[in-house]
Amino acid sequence: MKKRVLKLATVMLVGGMALPAISRASDDELEKKIDKLVKEVEELKRSVKKVEDKSIGKWLTIGGDYRFRYDYLRGQTRPFTDAAATFANAQNKLQQGYFNAIATGADPTPWAQGISGMTAFSQQMAGVKTYSQAKTFLAANQQMLAGLGNYAVQVPAYKPENSSLYTNRFGIDLHAKATENITVTARLVMYKVFGSQDSAAIDATGNAPYFADRVGVFDGTLGHVPSNSYLDVDRAYATWSNIADQPIWFSVGRRPSTNGAPSNLKLNNERPGNGGTPSLLVDYAFDGMTLGYAPDIEALPGAYAKICYGRGFDSGFRDTPANSIADTDMLGIAVIPVDTDPLRVWLQWNRGFNIFDFPTMSNTYFGNTMPKANLGDIDWYGAGAMSTLKHVGPGNLNMFADFGLSVTHPNDNVSSQAGFQGLMTGAFLNPEAPTSKTGWAVAAGLRYDLPSKTKLGFEYNHGSKNWITFAPAADDMWTSKVGTRGNVYEGYVIQELNLKPVSSYLSKAFFRVGYQYYDFEYTGSNNWVGAPVKMSDVNGQMMLLAPLKKAHDVYATFEVKF
Amino acid sequence: MKRFFSVVIMLAVLTVSSLTLVASASAEDVKMVGTISEIKIADDGKSATAILKDTKSGESVTIVVTDDLTLDKFKDKRIVEGDEIRCKFEKQDGKNSSKIFKKTAGC
Repeated sequence: MKKRVLKLATVMLVGGMALPAISRASDDELEKKIDKLVKEVEELKRSVKKVEDKSIGKWLTIGGDYRFRYDYLRGQTRPFTDAAATFANAQNKLQQGYFNAIATGADPTPWAQGISGMTAFSQQMAGVKTYSQAKTFLAANQQMLAGLGNYAVQVPAYKPENSSLYTNRFGIDLHAKATENITVTARLVMYKVFGSQDSAAIDATGNAPYFADRVGVFDGTLGHVPSNSYLDVDRAYATWSNIADQPIWFSVGRRPSTNGAPSNLKLNNERPGNGGTPSLLVDYAFDGMTLGYAPDIEALPGAYAKICYGRGFDSGFRDTPANSIADTDMLGIAVIPVDTDPLRVWLQWNRGFNIFDFPTMSNTYFGNTMPKANLGDIDWYGAGAMSTLKHVGPGNLNMFADFGLSVTHPNDNVSSQAGFQGLMTGAFLNPEAPTSKTGWAVAAGLRYDLPSKTKLGFEYNHGSKNWITFAPAADDMWTSKVGTRGNVYEGYVIQELNLKPVSSYLSKAFFRVGYQYYDFEYTGSNNWVGAPVKMSDVNGQMMLLAPLKKAHDVYATFEVKF
Repeated sequence: MKRFFSVVIMLAVLTVSSLTLVASASAEDVKMVGTISEIKIADDGKSATAILKDTKSGESVTIVVTDDLTLDKFKDKRIVEGDEIRCKFEKQDGKNSSKIFKKTAGC
């Protein structure tokens, strides 16, 4: 018994002595395991951060939009003589007469003389550069001009109508954070008419076009006037922000110089922020650059100023035997003293240098066009404001008012391809001495946003006789309404669908139904070539563009922004 | 003359000292550029806290926003997490109260 007790006591004693050692061993092991786990967690964290840092969502934002649009277009013209058709008619008739004379055995000499006279006339006409040369040329060709009158294509007043114009527009927006303080932004757009790969349905389809900004699609309107199913680069620019740790930025590329404020209200877009230009003065897809400064002034929230430069046309090599045309450039200064929801104010000055006569366009009613003359410079001045007032009745009220002034500075040049018209001077084959013309325009509107996501808007524009803007890319089918010499009234209803955004915080889908009524008081809206003519005085004059007196556009869209 | 100079120097020292005291007692304005890592709007909607990660130091700074214009932008998602912000805030009593809170300028 004693032995047994002793044995048990010995075992207990040995066990008791060994226990701390065993416990210490397991503590060490545990500690090691914890250390290992901590290391693994840290490694995992590093890996996750590495993946996060490299993940596409960290540096790239992708968005875009789709729009289906229906337009019912109806207008009313004044009687005029189609200049381009008259020249084509003379050429055709002379050739026809020549071949008929040969076929019937008659003397073809008078026809041959007519053809050679017409050819010489056209060639010499193309060589005319200045107002004084144009006067001399016309004085020397009185007989030919009288003869041309025999082939005049007179177009009586008519009512053009397109009962169903359908368009598709699709855009992709990309925003990449490349390095600290440097981003690259791009927008790719496809905009086309249903069943068409050109802009013929937007201009007058085989007849003299109605407006200069809708003769065809060119560099400044690509992606903003329907053309084809190609995905064009509408915007692509790099921005360097926080320069020298100051609120200064520099941005260069194909600029966000379209759809500026306050057109964002009608388009149901977000405010353009520091980008964009007042839509009354500039709506043109420019390649250019900006230097901006947004000082931190508590009393002027959101204030900024910027200098913008854009190239409207590059003439290529100069001082060559054939090229005498200069580049067309635009310089602007924008001062936005306050930019908040309740009040945004803008002040703008632009100058267009060496304004071209025709932009480069293909397959238009006038054939392939290109700049052939620099007609002078234009100054623009603008001042405007917009406001969003919350809780006005059941909803929010948005308002804007904008004023613009244009002052032309014509040189002595005239456009031979426009029948010797100059910068807002002269008529077809009736040149006018260069004189400065001043025009003005106002735009005002409001939009009431209801809690039901219904938005009701109304806008009014007026442009004076000599008003000219630089906004051919505006989202209007007939012509850019802000360039109208006369009045434009527009009402619209937007109904956003009450659906939860998925692709981005600001994604949405909505319907928009609207009506535009244009009342043109003078010819040549959105055209700086030639002098305006009072619409009531238009009665058979020779013109390049068909004078539209009134126009209606009933439109409906379904739009998705993602 | 000596007395006059002594008085002037004394006054200058006093002025500087008092100004220093005032400055240290008053709030400190800080400017920073940072990326928003978190936005929390108070239940009553009258204030919000935004955590900005300083682009220079990488440190996180919590800013209290009370102005309606910025709060509206938080609510409308015009300012969201991931946006780079230029901020001026007042450091007082351990709280950073926003005075200017706007997206980094540039376009």
